[in-house]
Amino acid sequence: MNVFDAVVLALRQVWAQKLKSFFTLLGVIVGVTFLISVIAVVEGMNRYVEDDFAGSIFGINTITVERVYSRRGGREDARTRRRQARNPDVTVADADILRENVPNILYLAYNNDRYLPEVRAGQNRRKNVRLIGVTDQYLPLQGWDIVDGRGLTRIDDVRGIRVAVIGDAIAEKLFPDGSPVGNDIRLGPFRYQIVGVLERQGGFIGVIRDAAVVIPFGAYQADFSYRRNRIENIQIKFETSEAMVVGEATTEEILRARHQLRPGEENDFNIETASEVLNAWNTIKNVLLAAGPGLVAVALVVGGIVIMNIMLMSVLERTREIGVRKALGARRIDIVRQFLAESATLSAVGAIIGMALGIGLAWLVDMATPLPASVPMWSIVLGVTLGLFVGLVFGVYPAVRASRLDPIVALRYE
Amino acid sequence: MMMPPDSAVIHTRELTKEYELGAETVRALRGVDMQIDKNEFVAIMGPSGSGKSTLLNLIGCLDTPTAGEYWLSGHEVSQLDDNELARIRNREIGFVFQTFNLLSRTTALHNVELPLIYSGMSARDRHQRAREALDAVGLADRMTHHPNELSGGERQRVAIARALVNQPSLILADEPTGNLDSQTSAEIMDIFLGLHKRGETILIVTHERDIAAFSERLITLRDGKIESDERHTIGAPVA
Repeated sequence: MNVFDAVVLALRQVWAQKLKSFFTLLGVIVGVTFLISVIAVVEGMNRYVEDDFAGSIFGINTITVERVYSRRGGREDARTRRRQARNPDVTVADADILRENVPNILYLAYNNDRYLPEVRAGQNRRKNVRLIGVTDQYLPLQGWDIVDGRGLTRIDDVRGIRVAVIGDAIAEKLFPDGSPVGNDIRLGPFRYQIVGVLERQGGFIGVIRDAAVVIPFGAYQADFSYRRNRIENIQIKFETSEAMVVGEATTEEILRARHQLRPGEENDFNIETASEVLNAWNTIKNVLLAAGPGLVAVALVVGGIVIMNIMLMSVLERTREIGVRKALGARRIDIVRQFLAESATLSAVGAIIGMALGIGLAWLVDMATPLPASVPMWSIVLGVTLGLFVGLVFGVYPAVRASRLDPIVALRYE
Repeated sequence: MMMPPDSAVIHTRELTKEYELGAETVRALRGVDMQIDKNEFVAIMGPSGSGKSTLLNLIGCLDTPTAGEYWLSGHEVSQLDDNELARIRNREIGFVFQTFNLLSRTTALHNVELPLIYSGMSARDRHQRAREALDAVGLADRMTHHPNELSGGERQRVAIARALVNQPSLILADEPTGNLDSQTSAEIMDIFLGLHKRGETILIVTHERDIAAFSERLITLRDGKIESDERHTIGAPVA
């Protein structure tokens, strides 16, 4: 009995009893599907967080000074929340002092922002807009490029000129037929002249940039702000990550001195960096990667036990066949090989189905949600190997039992 | 230990088999001495409990004796282990069973090929030999049929082809006509006669006198011993 014959026999059996085979293989299928799709999503998220998310929301080598944590999704504990509530505002004066004293600054920018229910241009409207009042280095600091017209200058800011740079989604909605540059946009009661359009970002994180209207800080404070001096946050971008580490420490010292904090007293402001978000993501990732193998192992063990059970039944059903084979000269090893090949083939079929489903699931996640997913080759190899391994390991006991049957008893079996 | 003569296919001395059945020891065979030479056509008869099946299992190398010697084609086989016995069964013995014992999920051709698979023959030679064997029992046109598409007589002929295909030194048939009507039984026995004329050595276990009549020698067992061992002309009614 060679392995090829056994594989063909096993495949024929799987095909002949499709439904039964499916249930037999469910454990292995679920295990491998889960393995591949979880790895795909984690890998995709990983790439997304490291390349896109951290880079575009926080910028590389950028620190953010703010009164309360704004980008942690409310995960701070109650104590931190109580402490933050007493923090003083971050002000324009803070920003000026930092600009003077922190070394190696590439860009420093601050902004205020608010929600506008609607903006208009002529007859066209666009609802749900984020209005951001920014200083002149804000756009280069964020890496928001202009595709049409120009960006915002220091002159715009200082003079309080009513000009605006608009996001791609807004441009599309308000000016479907031509360039918006030179036209007016109505922001509440005020009329602003559009001087530029932002490059489209798209996707999940694009919802912020693409639906934004960006105006000079001076104009924003005059038209939309009640508290003149208060700002949302100060962002500082450094040339290198080493400069950022030094800059972060200097910033902390300066602000502590300005706020007259005693040594040992906690900061009454927050400094966030991209690495903080990366740390948070790494925590999530580690949980996923720690829980993942456990779940996969449970599914595969259950799958293996089901396969073992099916193989034991198969051995019982085929007792007589085994007797015949032995009478005709099959050695123990021949019988073991036959049944092992069969269980391994069974589970390999399960693993391949699981692989297809896993890739499909990852693709679906990629298409239907903003989460990116990518299936690395090693996860496919791992999945199929594990599936095959399960079939081999759990096939050993039934195969050995079959091989030990006494041919006389087996031949008499009804 | 004395070597049996070259002409002997089966040679036993004081062949004994005992079973432990609970606290009791069943003495199924109590010292059987017999010799069957090449090209003999022998029938074994005996009432149930006479030790027929036990003797058949020992001769078929499916079991080993408690005591005594068994020489098969000049080799002492009574003390061999499982794997060596499997090899002997594969090369030296062709089994024909009462219930045919064909594998139902595969074709007649594949069934006949089975012994060759276990002797490690290449696929091409296997097909060739299996075809020839099926041809020899008149089933050249049934090769791709599954057992359930064949009549009882055809199934037994496939089984005979399977027994022949490895060119064994002994064909061992256990009640080969037990599941067949008398017409078909006669056909099957004719095939055995043909094989005998071709030079095969055949041992048939039966409880039917008219089946035993096809042989040329009748051994009768009783209580684990040989009661009688007589030669007769083929076809002559046996007592």
